[in-house]
Amino acid sequence: MVKARLKVNKAGFPQYIVAGEQLGAGLSLKPEHLDDILALPVEQLVTNNNLWFEVHTENYFVAGGPRLNYLRAVRENFDISFHGVGGSLGSDHKSMLAHTKRVKALIDEFQPALVSEHAVWSKSDGKYFADLMPLPRTQDALESLINGIDCYQTGIGRSILVENPSNYLDFISDMDEPQFLVEAAKRSGCGLLIDINNLYISSKNTGIDALDYLKQIPAELVGEIHIAGHDPDPALGQSLLIDSHAAPVATPVWDLLAQAIEIFGQRPVLVERDANIPSFTELMSERETAQSYLNQSELESRLNISHKEVVR
Amino acid sequence: MSTNQYIDAFTRYLRTGDPSAMKHFCENPSHIKRLAVYRNGFYKGCVDALIANFPMCEKKVGSENFRKMARLYVDRFPPEQGTLVGYGLSFPDFIARLIKDSEFENKHIFEVTVNQQSASDLYMNLVDIAHLDYAWLMSLMSADSIEALTIEHITQLMEQGIELTELNVKLSPSVQLLSVNGSAFFEWISLKTNNYGVDQAKSPTDDFVMLWRLQGAVQARSLCSAEVKLMQALQGTGRSLGDAFDAAVTVDENFEVSEAFTACLQNELLEIQIN
Repeated sequence: MVKARLKVNKAGFPQYIVAGEQLGAGLSLKPEHLDDILALPVEQLVTNNNLWFEVHTENYFVAGGPRLNYLRAVRENFDISFHGVGGSLGSDHKSMLAHTKRVKALIDEFQPALVSEHAVWSKSDGKYFADLMPLPRTQDALESLINGIDCYQTGIGRSILVENPSNYLDFISDMDEPQFLVEAAKRSGCGLLIDINNLYISSKNTGIDALDYLKQIPAELVGEIHIAGHDPDPALGQSLLIDSHAAPVATPVWDLLAQAIEIFGQRPVLVERDANIPSFTELMSERETAQSYLNQSELESRLNISHKEVVR
Repeated sequence: MSTNQYIDAFTRYLRTGDPSAMKHFCENPSHIKRLAVYRNGFYKGCVDALIANFPMCEKKVGSENFRKMARLYVDRFPPEQGTLVGYGLSFPDFIARLIKDSEFENKHIFEVTVNQQSASDLYMNLVDIAHLDYAWLMSLMSADSIEALTIEHITQLMEQGIELTELNVKLSPSVQLLSVNGSAFFEWISLKTNNYGVDQAKSPTDDFVMLWRLQGAVQARSLCSAEVKLMQALQGTGRSLGDAFDAAVTVDENFEVSEAFTACLQNELLEIQIN
């Protein structure tokens, strides 16, 4: 399997992300499913194609109690990933230190396989706007994002993966999104988390070419892939797709995932679900589909290797 | 165009709903209405967090009324940290001011549905129910005890010949104490348990309520005057067990000290104060 080696940044954090070696397809960890997860037979875990779970880091900003205990119980048998939604890498870095202090405490205890955040802004003038607002893709915003990633990585003492946003409209920009993200990654030493559903939504909402986008991202920068469901806007319908995480993964998103795996190679793939939570069995079935894409890719890469050996 | 100007304009839109300052930053001016997705996401995130953090309050006034009140709170007090865990610290006080203002202006905040008796019934106890919801949340998320005082622990100390009355103890971090109006605690319990048969007779005196976490679940009960004195004595940095129980006995000389102490141990209410 492929190891994605990321550029060493100036603070000299550990920069290796074992992509695909430890982790297969994972799921968002939902409190509703804890009993099902803890009831999974331990002997199946090893053969379970490296199932893992991702949580929103800030949901665990608690001093103690059952929430942390549940996560501890899950962590005993599974790898986990911390996915931040409140870091505001693109703006208002004054409160970053206090934020990353809490993230670091969780990282120290839970030793997550992956840590990620978003290439967006969500804080301004000391207020937190609890959503993921895109940045204008300008040199100025790029500097701000790189500074934010640097503050975050310095605060937690390791590198992170940064996720592409969902775009609902275009803002005035100096560069396209792949350029913007790749530049941020190369200059900060972070990796990228490519959210295929966000990319699909952005392509439909703003008319970009999703495949061309994927081809512009160097595979070695990609440490994780997300897929999720989306919904049409209640008023504007299919002309505006919303990143709801409230529906099963749509067929075109699965198709784009297949293309992404072909371009990037095997990477941990997360099936995200945050609303209209279905049964664990139903979510596991979606996760099995994602795993089958990874298995198929692995099989093809092995066949390619064997073929080359026969030819030689 | 600087990033700061863009974020200031976007912030203004999120706070006011006025997109005019964002026009300069949008590639396609006909798409400016799409900014609403972000504003809706902001409000939905915050309102959903308030619903999660104040569940009995929402149950009492109904979803629509609660959402209306929650949106007003988000307008006035947007979150200040990059998390919605614990959002709503000042929500109970905000509700109190809202009710006071509505009474002053003689305008009702809530729409009364067929199942609800009157707006004044909805106001009654609402602030205290919000306080109880928040205290429940704080108890649930509080730090775990470093060294909870248990019956086994006490047995060991007694075997070591340690004089228990001199033992310095304090309340465990999950213990929340609050005073609420007359029937508010009973109403909160009945909302929580869906047991509307619970006696909600109005009481002229305040209830002193204690919430604490035992084996991951939050418990709640009202305290008698001697128990209040005991718990107050053990708040903060704590006190010796002897002093704390003496304080309780001064309020009620018939206070059953051994019974109360056993209950404290069984419910893991105390931890040893390490100096």
